[in-house]
Amino acid sequence: MSNPILAFSATRRMRSFRTILTVTAYAGMLLLIAILMLKGMFGTSVTIQSMQQGVRCYLILTAAQFGLLVLIGPAMTSGAIAGERERQTLELLLVTNTRSFRIASGKMLESYAMLALLIVSGMPAMCLTVVVGGVSFSQVLVSMLFLLAVAFGTVCVGVFASACCRTSVRSGVMSYRIIALIAVITALPFIFGYPRNITDVVYDSQQYAALTKDGALKMIHPLLYCNPGFGLVALLQDQTSLLSGGSLENIPGFGTATMVQRTQYQQWGRLLCTYLMMDRAGGQSIALISSGAIAVAGSVLMGIATFLIRPRRKRVIGD
Amino acid sequence: MLKIEHLTKHYGTFPALQDLSLEIPERQLHGFLGPNGAGKTTTMRILATLMTPTSGRASVDGVDVVRKPHEARKLIGYMPDFFGTYDNLTCREYLDFYGRCYRIGAKERQRMADQLLELIQLGDKRDTYVDSLSRGMKQRLCLARSLIHDPKLLILDEPASGMDPRARADMKGILRTLREMGKTVLISSHILPEMSELVDSLTILNRGRLVLSEDVKSLAARMSGNAPLEIRLAEGCGEEAVDAVVVCLKELPGVAEILQPEPYLLQVRLEGGDEQCMQMLREMTARGLPVTDFHRIPMNLEQVFMEVTQDE
Repeated sequence: MSNPILAFSATRRMRSFRTILTVTAYAGMLLLIAILMLKGMFGTSVTIQSMQQGVRCYLILTAAQFGLLVLIGPAMTSGAIAGERERQTLELLLVTNTRSFRIASGKMLESYAMLALLIVSGMPAMCLTVVVGGVSFSQVLVSMLFLLAVAFGTVCVGVFASACCRTSVRSGVMSYRIIALIAVITALPFIFGYPRNITDVVYDSQQYAALTKDGALKMIHPLLYCNPGFGLVALLQDQTSLLSGGSLENIPGFGTATMVQRTQYQQWGRLLCTYLMMDRAGGQSIALISSGAIAVAGSVLMGIATFLIRPRRKRVIGD
Repeated sequence: MLKIEHLTKHYGTFPALQDLSLEIPERQLHGFLGPNGAGKTTTMRILATLMTPTSGRASVDGVDVVRKPHEARKLIGYMPDFFGTYDNLTCREYLDFYGRCYRIGAKERQRMADQLLELIQLGDKRDTYVDSLSRGMKQRLCLARSLIHDPKLLILDEPASGMDPRARADMKGILRTLREMGKTVLISSHILPEMSELVDSLTILNRGRLVLSEDVKSLAARMSGNAPLEIRLAEGCGEEAVDAVVVCLKELPGVAEILQPEPYLLQVRLEGGDEQCMQMLREMTARGLPVTDFHRIPMNLEQVFMEVTQDE
């Protein structure tokens, strides 16, 4: 490895007992969920019921991994730079010929590798759903790739917060705040409506019928692409027909209406319009754009983090 | 080797360092002294490229530390006044890591790490985890870290702070070896007696200003010329004999002050050189006064330090 910070941090992390514990707990928890949900379905022929249960299990496992990554990512990276400050080793690195970008990227890649290891360790549990049926291996792979993109985003947020703060605790708190802020800001289109008049398109049956995949992609508010949760829902919708397949049918007053008619219900209008656009655009495309948006945002945060840790900014009075 | 010209650093309106100019030749151990807040660490951090000065310049072996920090870092080894060690890492891995940060090749890193561990007397601890080392050992390991890229100038900020006498003696030995190896060492410390034994030249800062920068030998010669004389009289010689000595001293030219810290001990401040000193000794001998010991009080760096930082 050409980046000494990456090699060195990885060595130290892998020697820590906490790492073994984290990976074991993560993989064990997912396996436990899978086994509890799918017990009695192994060794029998594939039925519609087993496939439905496989899909449910896949949804829960993917959502659980998503939640865990958002929770674990900041905790894992909060000490990346702040920890070096606490140990007073950051200056020692800065006086070597290691540029601040190498320090920031090394720390980020090391934490990212750890999260990637967690995602891979969840693979056996995910693959149990393939065995039962209802989910293909390629779908599992695609969702893992999306989770890797989410992991990249959370790690970049963590490194950025770590570069801003003096202690790991503050950095961890700041990371969670940033993630909460991103979740709220990128969900604003649901609350305050679209600048582009999405409902006009949906209500006009001719316009809606003529709407292409690219057109639908453009109709979705750009902020929504920056919301990893939206990307995940779009992907799972594409893979499993999560929304149209079940729960919405049970909402009172919705059962007999067509999907376009449902959008006229004020409280659900924007949400369902977005769903229709999502359905037309294709979940994989949305997840891909969402991954790209996460990557760009993460890179920007990494750039700022690099700027923040460069030498000759700190001021120390006297001795 | 090290040239500092009109170096100034302000934190807002607070002047941490004011117009410091200094030159340290090659192969010298140079002491950097001053009370807390004098600007020693600020100067060292500027030299270590961790901070930019408000004005002025500093160069190491002709390389400007402000304009060409990356080139300067190859020439400088910096050891701050804290350990900066990692857990879950052995001594050799610790040095190897910093070697990689300086982009030293694998074979060279290994060779340097082994040599440095021998130099700091931790050759048998190469595979021991850093966090299990004693304070003194960690301090020596940090010194080895600052040497991993074979720098020409070493900047050591309080390298012996918190060490026991044995560890301090070991550190002194290592620093002498480094001087023999041709390194230039800038060292700050509060342990003044040890500094006076160790360094070739020294600089004293106070409130960001340079108050003294001199070769230790010339400083010692200069200070001993003005040092007070200590005259010890025979125990139990009686008050009359002591009074006779005092009367004799008062009659001599150049005697400015006579103190009596103990019943049979006199301290005399003399305004004059060796001639007055010789005359005093002759006179006391001729009068048969009970003098058992007669010498100048040796120069003490602590006294020099207190004296030059007192006026500010």
